[in-house]
Amino acid sequence: MKQVTKAPIRTRRITPATAPAPPPLARIVNWFASRGWKPFDFQLETWRAYQAGSSGLVHAPTGMGKSLAVWLGPVMEYLSEERPEATLACTRGSSEPLRVLWITPMRALATDTVRSLAAPIADLGLNWSIEKRTGDTSASIKLRQRDRLPSALITTPESLSLLLSYPNAREAFATLRCIVVDEWHELLSTKRGTQTELCLARLRHWTPHVRTWGLSATLGNLDEALNVLVGDSLPQRHRDTEQCDGIVRPLTSITSSTNDPPPATPIPSLCPCASVVFRCLIRGDEPKRIDVRTILPESIERFPWAGHLGLRLLDKVLDEINTARTSLLFTNTRSQAELWFRAIIEAKPDWMGRIAIHHGSLDRDVRAEVEELLRKGELLCVVCTSSLDLGVDFSPVEQVIQVGSPKGVARLLQRAGRSGHQPGAVSAVVCVPTNALELVEFAAARDAMTTLSIEPRAPLDKPLDVLVQHLVTAALGGGFEAEAMYDEVRSAWAYRHLSREEWGWCMDFVTRGGPSLGAYPRFARVIRTPTNPRAVSEPPPPLPAGEVRACPPWRESSRAEGASAAARFNHNDARDLNGIRITPDGSRMIGASSIVERTHRLNIGTISSDTSIRVKYVGGATIGTIEESFIARLSPGDRFVLGGKPLELVRVREMTAQVKRAKSLRGAVPRWEGGRSPLSTQLAHAVRAKLTEYSSQSTALPFPKPGGLKGSSRGWSESSSGTPGKLPQSLLHPEGVLVSNNNHSPEMRAIAPLLDLQSHWSRLPGADELLIESLESRDGFHVFIYPFEGRLVHEGLGALAAHRLTRQKPRSITVSGNDYGIELLSAEPLPIDEASWRRVLSPDDLLEDLLACLNSTELPRRQFRDIARVAGLIVPGFPGAGKSTRQVQASSELFFDVFTEFDPGNRLLEQARREVLQQQLEIGRTRDSLDRLSKQRVVMVTLDQLSPLSFPLWAEGLRTQHVTSESWTDRVRKMAVALESKAGLNTEENRGKQRKRETDVNDAV
Amino acid sequence: MERVPIADEKIDLLPERAMWWERRSTLLLADPHLGKTAAFRALGIPAPEATTARDLDRLSDLIDRHTARRIVVLGDMLHAAAGRSSEVIDMFTAWRASFATVDILLVRGNHDDRAGDPPPEWRVDCVNGPHADGPFIYQHEPGESARGHVLCGHIHPAVRLFGRGESTMRAPCFWVGERCTVLPAFGSFTGAKVIRPREGDRVFAVGEGAVVEVPSPLPKARRAVSP
Repeated sequence: MKQVTKAPIRTRRITPATAPAPPPLARIVNWFASRGWKPFDFQLETWRAYQAGSSGLVHAPTGMGKSLAVWLGPVMEYLSEERPEATLACTRGSSEPLRVLWITPMRALATDTVRSLAAPIADLGLNWSIEKRTGDTSASIKLRQRDRLPSALITTPESLSLLLSYPNAREAFATLRCIVVDEWHELLSTKRGTQTELCLARLRHWTPHVRTWGLSATLGNLDEALNVLVGDSLPQRHRDTEQCDGIVRPLTSITSSTNDPPPATPIPSLCPCASVVFRCLIRGDEPKRIDVRTILPESIERFPWAGHLGLRLLDKVLDEINTARTSLLFTNTRSQAELWFRAIIEAKPDWMGRIAIHHGSLDRDVRAEVEELLRKGELLCVVCTSSLDLGVDFSPVEQVIQVGSPKGVARLLQRAGRSGHQPGAVSAVVCVPTNALELVEFAAARDAMTTLSIEPRAPLDKPLDVLVQHLVTAALGGGFEAEAMYDEVRSAWAYRHLSREEWGWCMDFVTRGGPSLGAYPRFARVIRTPTNPRAVSEPPPPLPAGEVRACPPWRESSRAEGASAAARFNHNDARDLNGIRITPDGSRMIGASSIVERTHRLNIGTISSDTSIRVKYVGGATIGTIEESFIARLSPGDRFVLGGKPLELVRVREMTAQVKRAKSLRGAVPRWEGGRSPLSTQLAHAVRAKLTEYSSQSTALPFPKPGGLKGSSRGWSESSSGTPGKLPQSLLHPEGVLVSNNNHSPEMRAIAPLLDLQSHWSRLPGADELLIESLESRDGFHVFIYPFEGRLVHEGLGALAAHRLTRQKPRSITVSGNDYGIELLSAEPLPIDEASWRRVLSPDDLLEDLLACLNSTELPRRQFRDIARVAGLIVPGFPGAGKSTRQVQASSELFFDVFTEFDPGNRLLEQARREVLQQQLEIGRTRDSLDRLSKQRVVMVTLDQLSPLSFPLWAEGLRTQHVTSESWTDRVRKMAVALESKAGLNTEENRGKQRKRETDVNDAV
Repeated sequence: MERVPIADEKIDLLPERAMWWERRSTLLLADPHLGKTAAFRALGIPAPEATTARDLDRLSDLIDRHTARRIVVLGDMLHAAAGRSSEVIDMFTAWRASFATVDILLVRGNHDDRAGDPPPEWRVDCVNGPHADGPFIYQHEPGESARGHVLCGHIHPAVRLFGRGESTMRAPCFWVGERCTVLPAFGSFTGAKVIRPREGDRVFAVGEGAVVEVPSPLPKARRAVSP
């Protein structure tokens, strides 16, 4: 949809539109032309592939018209169909029945999607209705849509699932031609994605010829993403047997055939190998130019600690904001966003009104307003979090400022893509380090972007909680036959290896609570109707209360003997439900009762969120939501900041915190959980490469004389840039000694003092080296290990190492980790020989040992929270839910405990452990990293004092030892000063004392 | 077990989440919420039935150990009307038969109002609170009374205990104030709410087989949260 500057367009064969019926493609190309555009190659390819009956995944940079690529396929299909002239009459009631289902991960996107999809439809004069249906859609529209869906429905996975839970679902989707999943990469590795897979499997089961098209941003595993999207229902790709990359190439013969009526069978020969294409990956090829530069601090803290720097660079960030029409300033956490927003407003009061804040805790209306202003170009800068990672193109955005390491290459790419939407424009990212080590991460991220080593997003493997939810949805939505459902479920990629045992357990779970008899008397969510299979399109026959209701609403059973004949019937019946999972006797599984139906619909969805409570002015507008755990720590009168507004807590009532405006801005910024993403494998790899490159290229030089480091670094205080013209010319060490090779990026040159001190006091590990530092302090014996694998892996490795060490010899070990390494701290000496650490870090018995660690932690219990919700154990509380749901509130912890005790075979418990292993401890990465470490040379260094790499670990460890934040800050700052002065002043002497153990550093703290 | 003076009576706080008033051979407990899991199941939420049996076993042990002659239930005996399943009714009826000589007094709570009084075969005397008994006033919800020391339940009190690092853990507790004492919920399948004790209150956490007094008032979490 952009003005084409370079893409060659094959329009030669398109004949000019003839008066009566111009060919569909010509009409589309004309429409493009009327807007001054020409279709890109990848758009033409997508249309051809769609026409040929193929499903696929389109990947192209933002702003290149991915949406039109997938949207106009079904539109052209419609144009090529013959229909009486009369149907073109534009009356609302008779618009075309449902043809396209458009799934978007964010309901905020739905409105814009409707807008952009409607434009060509209106211009082409088609009688299509385009509507959205999300959680925000009004009840009356929802009701109308239940009656009849629009020609194109834009919805979220949750709303789709909800639609599938109505008895007429099959009929409602009968005319569906095409499913589009927008931003598929966002859904891919989440339970929402799995839920989408199951819904798609259901729709494909009903309408086998429906085509599925996904849109995705850059991913490391696009092929897999395609497979997950399209599912396992289609024949195995021919690519497995033949040499073909599966990418559809433009075939001119098809272009000319658009005149013809649509073929009855899919056109073969879309692929070079001349066999039928069932799924294809289409890439828009225009690479977007991305310019990444970093604001370099005046001086480097050689003892960096998390979250400390950042605002120090505020002045330079303000300058950057001033250079662009509109900037997006991304932070990694919502609390950081609040901090930066406040800081900018305080520094530039005259910018008030042109600066906005946008994050997930703010009220939807507030966010919508900000987005609207952004679109109109009326804002100078929006401080935001991942809440603006996705979504429509805000064309006025010229520049993206990233505060703190993005921790992943894909995230930086995604955010970079938010700027520079004009054709030919460059996406500009300005990186702002919040500690010195992040300089390395920015440099590494740029390298990784160049080599396109981008993170994959791993799809989930058969989460049973999602399946359980879906089974109830399907049972309510017209019911299912067990055996056919088993096949249908396995056609979803996530469940392609679902065993019969697992399937049986899930069926047991929804029909009688679990496989063990007597554990769950009178339970049923799904029951078997004894009637013969009926056409699902029929309205469901009213269920006679005496026959099939397993669970009469409890008001009816006020007495014990009120256990009605109905309940008894089904209770007995439930016993032989065991058989239904294998015997295809034609009986359908349906929802058990109207009360099950109601609560289930409330519960549909897999979005996990911490309990959050609404923040409102007393008797006034909603400001947003905030974690309950944060509010719980406040008392009335306490102040905090949300949306940049200083607020004072008045009272907490039910799920609402009532506040009033506070006079001063002083107050705590809420600290939201989950803000810290770990370093991705790709970025961790790039960081290791960067450090290795540095250590191999830097010349060993005499360390500078005391007093020279700070303040004398004027020469390279300019912000760095990818363009050579802006580079500082001479990167001289304060002492005039060239520290590092000029080939290094500006970031690496800026951080040189830290790295040099590291190699001087300890060692900068090379490519094949694993650095282990040990230090004795008044706290005890520290060991620092540096696998450079990211925080999650380090937490797992740390727990593993501590477990193995304590097994060797009982002792108490405190573990902490950051993205670079692990700290182990013990009151007793830890081993300092290589052989011991080889054993401790051995890949052997990894799973066994990790499971043993897990049993002693709370992790699975915490992980169970989301599982319990998805599996329908937790009934959502909400205003107006009534007493009935309030009486069935129980915490997931309670369920975890009673299941552990009374139903230990419950597979949801096993899933909690599996999710902890796979997602929290990243066992796959942990195993890879242990394998890698086992091949490395172990370098043991005994430290005299904390090294630049160990310092942040030490500080992190201190934080976890439950020191109050104030004294933590004080202690860390004092330590940093002490070390800095030591590094600056006593260097020569230090070298002499290298091997002498000292403890006075800690005494200084 | 922890013996504390409450209103000049010697009261034992038991790890089974009940109180023993030796002088009157009375066991006091609150919030058993019988039939709660059945109410869940009626709504299509699988909650295992076995918790009821475990609670009754625990009660049997307490009666045997102390040779209790009377049980006072401070409200919420039955959880909900939907929880009055035949399993629960039969189970308690059978249990009652084996402790036929024990008197049971129920001071009705908010759940009892909706769930209804226990069936007659359980032989439970039901009264509305406040109900005076010696120096004590029995009622379901916390409050104060001019006539005596209030013993109550309703809020399912718990305290947060801090472990190593950032880990915390919640434990049910007895909350002993000057004029009002709140008992932990007796039922196994019940939640709990973290309390904020006032100065001078005593708080006894109930752990595995032990009752431990925790310092009160607990040091309040720091208000200013560093970003």
